[in-house]
Amino acid sequence: MRTFLRRAAQAPPRFCVFRWDLDKTYLKTEFDRVRDLVRTAFEKATDKVAAPGVATLIRSLRRVAEEQGREVRVFFLTASPPQIGRAIREKLALDGIVHDGIVFKDQLQNLLRGRFANLREQVGFKLTELLASRGSLPEEAVEFLFGDDWESDPLAYSLYADIVSGRVEAAEVEEVLRLLGVDPELRSRVLDSMRTLPRRDAVRRIFIHLERRTPPANLRSFGSRLVPTFNYFQTAVCLRCEGVMDDRGVAEVGRALVAEAGYDGRRLANSLADLLRRGHVSRRDARRLARSLVREGLFRRGELPEYLAGRWAALREPSFWKGWFRAAAPPPALPPIDYRSLAAELRAAR
Amino acid sequence: MPTIVVDAMGGDFAPEEVVKGVASVSLETSIQCVLVGDEKKVQSELDRCAYNPEQISVLHAPETIGMDEDPKEAVEKKKQASLLVAARTVADSRGDALVTAGNTGALVLACSRFFRTIRGIRKTALASVFPRQTEYPGQDPLALLLDVGATVRCDAVELVQFALMGEVYARRISKTASPRVALLNMGKEENKGGEVLVRAYRMLRSLSGINFIGNIEGDDLAKGKADVIVCEGLLGNVVLKLLEGISEIVVDLASLASRERWRWKLGLMMLAGGIGRLRDLTDYASYGGAPILGFEKVVIKAHGRSTARAIGNAVKVAAKAVRDRVPEEIAAGIAQLL
Repeated sequence: MRTFLRRAAQAPPRFCVFRWDLDKTYLKTEFDRVRDLVRTAFEKATDKVAAPGVATLIRSLRRVAEEQGREVRVFFLTASPPQIGRAIREKLALDGIVHDGIVFKDQLQNLLRGRFANLREQVGFKLTELLASRGSLPEEAVEFLFGDDWESDPLAYSLYADIVSGRVEAAEVEEVLRLLGVDPELRSRVLDSMRTLPRRDAVRRIFIHLERRTPPANLRSFGSRLVPTFNYFQTAVCLRCEGVMDDRGVAEVGRALVAEAGYDGRRLANSLADLLRRGHVSRRDARRLARSLVREGLFRRGELPEYLAGRWAALREPSFWKGWFRAAAPPPALPPIDYRSLAAELRAAR
Repeated sequence: MPTIVVDAMGGDFAPEEVVKGVASVSLETSIQCVLVGDEKKVQSELDRCAYNPEQISVLHAPETIGMDEDPKEAVEKKKQASLLVAARTVADSRGDALVTAGNTGALVLACSRFFRTIRGIRKTALASVFPRQTEYPGQDPLALLLDVGATVRCDAVELVQFALMGEVYARRISKTASPRVALLNMGKEENKGGEVLVRAYRMLRSLSGINFIGNIEGDDLAKGKADVIVCEGLLGNVVLKLLEGISEIVVDLASLASRERWRWKLGLMMLAGGIGRLRDLTDYASYGGAPILGFEKVVIKAHGRSTARAIGNAVKVAAKAVRDRVPEEIAAGIAQLL
């Protein structure tokens, strides 16, 4: 009975923070070759392309928070240099994104000070900036972090979440940062922040956009707090289950994918079913959302798997009832993350 | 874009290789696939692959028909077997074609149970491809042999229908403008092989839309004289198994030779490039699978030992057959015969 009563969507936090990585997460940036890097540096705002559905998602998150009378902050954190800041700000304005700050990585300073290792190292930079920003937020602020599978976002974000919650000790953090080759100055700044920050389980979810199509199992060692998603419709669905998005917002993101990237109902329905199979959405939530999206005209009932379409035939299947009374989203089970081996893996991959 | 229903649990390396094959298709093409099988196992395999979830759906089927199971008994008892659920899904028009690497007998029975045969078709035919000599660059290195086991004995009209179905399939899938069709017989002469073959010979010769080249003998099979070889199931199955047996003996002999004398081993190493090319040419993984012809739906049977590459190619062949409307074209050809 208790689980039944708990099954309603999670209560949305009163103060929400959405932190976004920029390249490969918000923008479809190409930097595989030096030529791409140079081109990106000189690109105008109008030439920059956002990932399908991402702008709609961010706009919807703010709208929902404002409609529900909740505080919301949207921050961007990027390893791009501040020299391209103007084009980035213009691009965000063009996309109608209202944000509360962008942090760039001052690569010029790293060059001038001869800190060449810092040019490619991202965990130290991101962790320092995230912790500094956390210090300026009210203690009750709940965070949702958004990154991609190209660099070190899963590790940096998870480490940040565990530092803030107090799940990881200073000695382990220091060792992990050393293993990653993080600059000593940044290391000491991280450790200073750890001493002063109040401990709170502030990061609810980390969303990793699988831009490189990394197999989801490769990210399993980060625990269920980290959700790998293949498109922003899937991200919107998970955020709906967290209570910070509404059905209308999910439908809007779906429509954006149709308009911007040629998606159809079938592809969206398959995306929803994939999230359900991977255990990031409960059956009950997926079914309720599917009904709502059918009403919104995003896809037809026939495009859904039987257990989502709610056909009578499916009621006979025991699997239909499985998870019926489960809470809206599976609570993040967080066994300790082995940061030392993850850091060693990341170092080896560089 | 066609929807291909794939039996995820069929084959010696299922579900791992089947899921991997479908995952790679989802990244390379816009084909929609439905994986039918144990949902947990299928998803667990998917999680380990790079895949595009937008093009893959999973349909749960709790049972599996093993490769060595008695087909009739399995089809009767295991109503929720992945192969039967997959066939039912295609029959209900929730998919356009069926691909499986599973039990061939069970597949034939499942297809007969769920799919309608094309109007006028008296017997369906299981086809297979085998490597043959090519005469010009770009020629398909594989010839189509049918029937290889769906029937035992046939009459002349049925053989003519097999020829027509094989001709359409070869023309569409191998892109041979006018496939050469031949009857497998014990001699080249028109009057050889008994009453059925003689009658089939005369009927095929009188057909205008088909490039019938007459009878061929067993030694002509690998020479590449025909693109489509027609025979009854009993004979076709014996031929197929013989070819597979020879290929296994050649491999065994080569490995024996490489162990026996270092000079032979050296010789084999020097030939490695050529052997590799030959293997690529005849690798079943590159063609993926062969069709069961005569049903209103496209059915592709992949080799039991199919790897991810073979499954991926079987899915692509199925999609091509759907796009090129192979069953409809066979139906049109048969209608002309009637």
